[in-house]
Amino acid sequence: MSDFLSILSDITTSPMFGITISILAYTLGVWLAKKAKSPLVNPLLIAIILISAFLAVFKIPYANYCSGGKMIELFLTPLTAILAIKVYEQIHLLKQNWLPLLIGSLVGSAVSIGCVLLLSRLFFLENSLMVSLLPKSVTAAIAIPLSMQGGGVVSVTALAVMITGLTGAVFSPMMLRLLRIQNPIEAGVAIGTSSHALGTSKAIELGDAEGAMSSCAIAIAGLCTVILLMIF
Amino acid sequence: MKILKQLGGLFLLCIIGEILSALLPFPLPAGVLCMVLLFLGLSCHIIQIDVLRESADFMLKNMAFFFIPASVGIVEYYPLIKHTWLPLLIICILATFATFAATAYTVRLVIFLQTKFRNGGAKK
Repeated sequence: MSDFLSILSDITTSPMFGITISILAYTLGVWLAKKAKSPLVNPLLIAIILISAFLAVFKIPYANYCSGGKMIELFLTPLTAILAIKVYEQIHLLKQNWLPLLIGSLVGSAVSIGCVLLLSRLFFLENSLMVSLLPKSVTAAIAIPLSMQGGGVVSVTALAVMITGLTGAVFSPMMLRLLRIQNPIEAGVAIGTSSHALGTSKAIELGDAEGAMSSCAIAIAGLCTVILLMIF
Repeated sequence: MKILKQLGGLFLLCIIGEILSALLPFPLPAGVLCMVLLFLGLSCHIIQIDVLRESADFMLKNMAFFFIPASVGIVEYYPLIKHTWLPLLIICILATFATFAATAYTVRLVIFLQTKFRNGGAKK
């Protein structure tokens, strides 16, 4: 058994391992989500649980998974870039709704910051933790430098950004129903502003208009948050 | 060859974005910068959508997949937040709900005011 484990740990250091297990877990997640037909059964969530469980059961270090994981993460920059295509294809929506988009993202970003301030006080959170959470609603590449400037803990910020994104990706269909939001413009801007690119992955599944508005909101909310936190 | 060329072009754009992002004095990530560049390129007809179609479709259709490694990393942070994980989780989720609702209703209000203003203008 220990022999088997040592062979396994040799194999798992190859990037091929991380990539393969990610694809397998995601494929299984998509299949299960189709069967379950509940928005809470989210392919991404299933994949995360499966991979974490697999790594824990076979005692595979996270660093081994990461060698392949890093290669997948490499695609996050081009992925954000090609959201421009979604926006361009729905350019008439942007021309009609630039004002609601701008004001919606600005108010949303302010509410996000305000909520973190308020709730952090409520839970008696340390100041450095609070600063780490303030920029959590925007994409990691904006949030991390902002947190560093304020003296926050970078890894807490990265974590908060991911949890926020996952919340958006998993719960946004539920929130739309709960808040009785049917207009795709409202839905798109809300998803992009509250949960950046990760939430946008769900917006794109909901529809072209939602995807386009959500993509725009990533950029606008990012800028609003930078400006708002500079004022503080 | 087609997809290879597309990915090559896309990665080249990203490298340009990384360089520009490093030169800027404020945090604007390469991804967002590339999105703006690509959008301008498409609007000015410098870049045709068809040049990127297949690889873009592939990535957009499987968008959530590319977030798996970063999300699996969450588990790794547990020792760091052992004592504060519950408040952190509650704050993240509640703030996201509040932001979502506030944004959606603000957009609704602005659209409502815009239509009202336009209709009001038309009557005169």
